Amino acid sequence: MLKISNWLDERLGWRSVWEAIFIRKIPKVNWWYTLGSATLFVAMIQIVTGILLTIYYVPTPDHAYDTVQFITYEVAGGWFVRGLHHYGASAMVILSVVHMIRVILHGSYKFPREVTWFTGVALLLVVVGFGFTGYLLPWDQKAYWATTVGTKIAGTPPVIGEYILRVIRGGQELSEVTLARFFGVHVWVLPAALLALISVHLYLIIRIGIGGPPLKEDNKNE
Amino acid sequence: MVEKKPEVSRKDFLGIATFSIGGLISAIVGIPAISYIIGPALKQEKTQNWIPLGAVSKVEINVPTLFKTKITQKAGWIVNERELSFYVLTNNGREFTAMSNVCTHLGCRVRWVSDEETFFCPCHNAQFSKDGEVASGPPPRALDRYEVKVEDDQLFVLGG
Repeated sequence: MLKISNWLDERLGWRSVWEAIFIRKIPKVNWWYTLGSATLFVAMIQIVTGILLTIYYVPTPDHAYDTVQFITYEVAGGWFVRGLHHYGASAMVILSVVHMIRVILHGSYKFPREVTWFTGVALLLVVVGFGFTGYLLPWDQKAYWATTVGTKIAGTPPVIGEYILRVIRGGQELSEVTLARFFGVHVWVLPAALLALISVHLYLIIRIGIGGPPLKEDNKNE
Repeated sequence: MVEKKPEVSRKDFLGIATFSIGGLISAIVGIPAISYIIGPALKQEKTQNWIPLGAVSKVEINVPTLFKTKITQKAGWIVNERELSFYVLTNNGREFTAMSNVCTHLGCRVRWVSDEETFFCPCHNAQFSKDGEVASGPPPRALDRYEVKVEDDQLFVLGG
């Protein structure tokens, strides 16, 4: 075992990468500092369960509802996979928001971590985008009417609202075009954005290190 | 007093705990994931039914006659119709043999070529004799046969 890992390390240098990522010095922190990792963990669950759901899910009005019922009630473990994805979606929003509140309250967004904060804000928008597009996919009454209302809200700005609404819906009405594009955005556009942003976010955390809680001594020179 | 050094350091313990919990969570997600993926493949929905083919009078003596029929089948979340074809052969108008038209080599459809008195499979030039035995080519065995019954001058085969 050690021989194999030495052999690989000589060729890949993976140990230095491992150490850079996981063997880092961190300041004395508390449980509030685990929220980013918790969000990342749930994101991984969402990716795995999301990939599994696409094995049976079909994003057309003919089949969307039936395939979701099929997954939930007929496929072995389908209720579990869908359940994880369903509750994981709520967890993503809650965890990332609480994570953001901690960053605000501890001032962790300040120099030199502004870019980490910017990517974090973008990530929050991506998470909300996931929630909005994913909500339509079961194609049941709740999904249909929630998206009718949601897209209508997007159409409220003066002048450009009408265009925004039509671009989001892919037409004047909520239709198969809407379902197909929400699916495309949910499984291709947003995951690509999520992975790219997470890469930058994590790179910066590893490069700069985490901030730690603000201390009273920090305010001495004020 | 000599303080005994713990056998597992705090750092090692946390490492082991992290990997154990990680492994446990992976198993909790991974094992249902496997059954989720292979589940439909394990489902045996081979219900054998008597499938009506048509009138007995359509079968000519000593000529394999093609019968086409449709059965409804549930595939995943859709119930749809599937076409099945059988060749029925009789020597005397009383005893019937029903053969599948699916080549036993790789599943292409065979057709009766009356000029040559053989079943021919266009995929790899296989030939079967009139009663379904392999005459030439790669098929490993004769054409599959089905149980036949006649009721009220109607032919039925047992299949699914």
